[in-house]
Amino acid sequence: MNSTKPMHKFREIFFEYVFMFSAGISVLALVMIFVFLFANGMPAIAEIGLMEFIFGREWRPMDASPSFGVLPMIAASIYITLGAMVIGVPVGIFTAVFLAHMCPARLYVVLKPTVNLLAGIPSVVYGFFGIVIIVPFVREISLFFTGGGSGSSMLAAMILLGIMILPTIVNISESAIRAVPRSYYEGSLALGASHTRSVFSVVLPAAKSGVFASVILGVGRAVGETMAVVMVAGNQARMPESIFRGGRALTSNIVIEMGYAEGLHRDSLIATGIVLLVFIFIINIVFTVVTRKSAPSAD
Amino acid sequence: MKKNFLKSVVMAVVLTAAAGIFSACGDDGGFVEGREINVISREDGSGTRGAFIDVMGIYVGGVDRTTVNAEIAPGTSHVLTNIAGDRYAIGYISLGSLNDTVRAINVGGVAATEANVRNGSYPLFRTFYLAVSDGISPLAQDFLDFMVSAEGQEIVERNYIPALESPSPFTGGGHEGTIVVAGSTSVAPLMERMREAYIALNPGVSIEIQSVGSGGGINAARDGMADIGMSSRDLREGELVYLNAIAVALDGLAVIVNNDNTATNLSPDQIHDIFVGEITRWNELD
Repeated sequence: MNSTKPMHKFREIFFEYVFMFSAGISVLALVMIFVFLFANGMPAIAEIGLMEFIFGREWRPMDASPSFGVLPMIAASIYITLGAMVIGVPVGIFTAVFLAHMCPARLYVVLKPTVNLLAGIPSVVYGFFGIVIIVPFVREISLFFTGGGSGSSMLAAMILLGIMILPTIVNISESAIRAVPRSYYEGSLALGASHTRSVFSVVLPAAKSGVFASVILGVGRAVGETMAVVMVAGNQARMPESIFRGGRALTSNIVIEMGYAEGLHRDSLIATGIVLLVFIFIINIVFTVVTRKSAPSAD
Repeated sequence: MKKNFLKSVVMAVVLTAAAGIFSACGDDGGFVEGREINVISREDGSGTRGAFIDVMGIYVGGVDRTTVNAEIAPGTSHVLTNIAGDRYAIGYISLGSLNDTVRAINVGGVAATEANVRNGSYPLFRTFYLAVSDGISPLAQDFLDFMVSAEGQEIVERNYIPALESPSPFTGGGHEGTIVVAGSTSVAPLMERMREAYIALNPGVSIEIQSVGSGGGINAARDGMADIGMSSRDLREGELVYLNAIAVALDGLAVIVNNDNTATNLSPDQIHDIFVGEITRWNELD
């Protein structure tokens, strides 16, 4: 009995280190990604010139005197993400409200797994769906409004991303809405408000930080999405002209040209990755601030 | 209970209506000539794009003058899918990848066929190269010998034009191991047929083919990540310092449009003007 005690202790310590090591891997991965990106990207930015790189409107990597300006991609990424929010956020939040407060149990068992399944579909399948269904649909709208356009456009990417961010927004918003104490809702009813009024004027505002967090995560998903966007957005590397015309997102720029690029071109694509990383970083900081704010106000 | 039933019914109706709206789209009668031309190009660095802009005189004085409004389709299959779905699109692909979902335009009155490339009347073609370093393994060298032998060139002949006039028969074989081939998406289908035939002769060999684009393949061969690089454009001077380029096939480039498009013939000048953005509507071609 006595002899097993040190053994016990050794095991305890051993496994503590195993767990600590595991936890270290993700930190190590992050650090290595940072080091890789900055070590390869920063010299390129220095060579091109920071202003030239961020605010340059021309992306002509293969010319004899090339220009590397990523402003068109930054603009397209922002437009596409905002568009996806306009489409996805209202639908997502209303779906969450419906699921949490108005959905009959029988419909819930169908609807909830459907939303979850949406999250599991690979983005290339979304992209294919986009080419076959959304692009022809947008082409018709575009012909009607502008008399031209192929349908491979920022609008197509917005619609597609609007669908892709639904699971993120619905699931997190629903949890946030469900976390609001039942007494809020009941109190509102007792004061004479109707069911819908109680949900929208009392429960939803109480859950707003969680709902806002879901929107931010949705933004992160939309900014980072690559494959589906490449397949439907047209990918022209020029300043976006209209939502019915194409544009190239930051992610698309990297994936389209990485296979061929060498020298400064390759490094400028890595530098594009830095810009993308800064975007994601800002989104994460906002997310952290928002969720931290919500923690104490919950009670 | 009645209310819940109603909700489910409403939901079903909404879904059906939405599906109906989506599927009803896409048929507005036929080809309208006054519409804009949707130019589809390939990504910067693609061998197909490199060859096309060279032959068409779009790459002049170190500047790629392809219109910035051209959509960029990352791969031959994307070009085919986009054009098959868009009546007003025009693009270009390898002649060997042409299928009946799209239609090839005659260039200067000459049909895009292998026979016309071979007799020199069709102006749009390029050479497929295999890029290897001097330190090539005996196994990879044997595979290379096979591809430029009479047997290998016979496989080329099924879809492309052999690069060698009178190749000698294959005498190697008897190797085992793994070969990594990387490069052009246009050369990959030919390479797959080569692999099949070579493995039939040498069952102990496995060949891994990576479609990473011409530039990627050349880089991989230079860095030793691949035994053989596939390129669908001429190798640049800087690349020929490290690598030897072996011509294996000639391939025509087809300028393709949607099956509903009424245009059948374009002059090289018109194709040039479309791709640099000087002609923007289909009715400006007459």
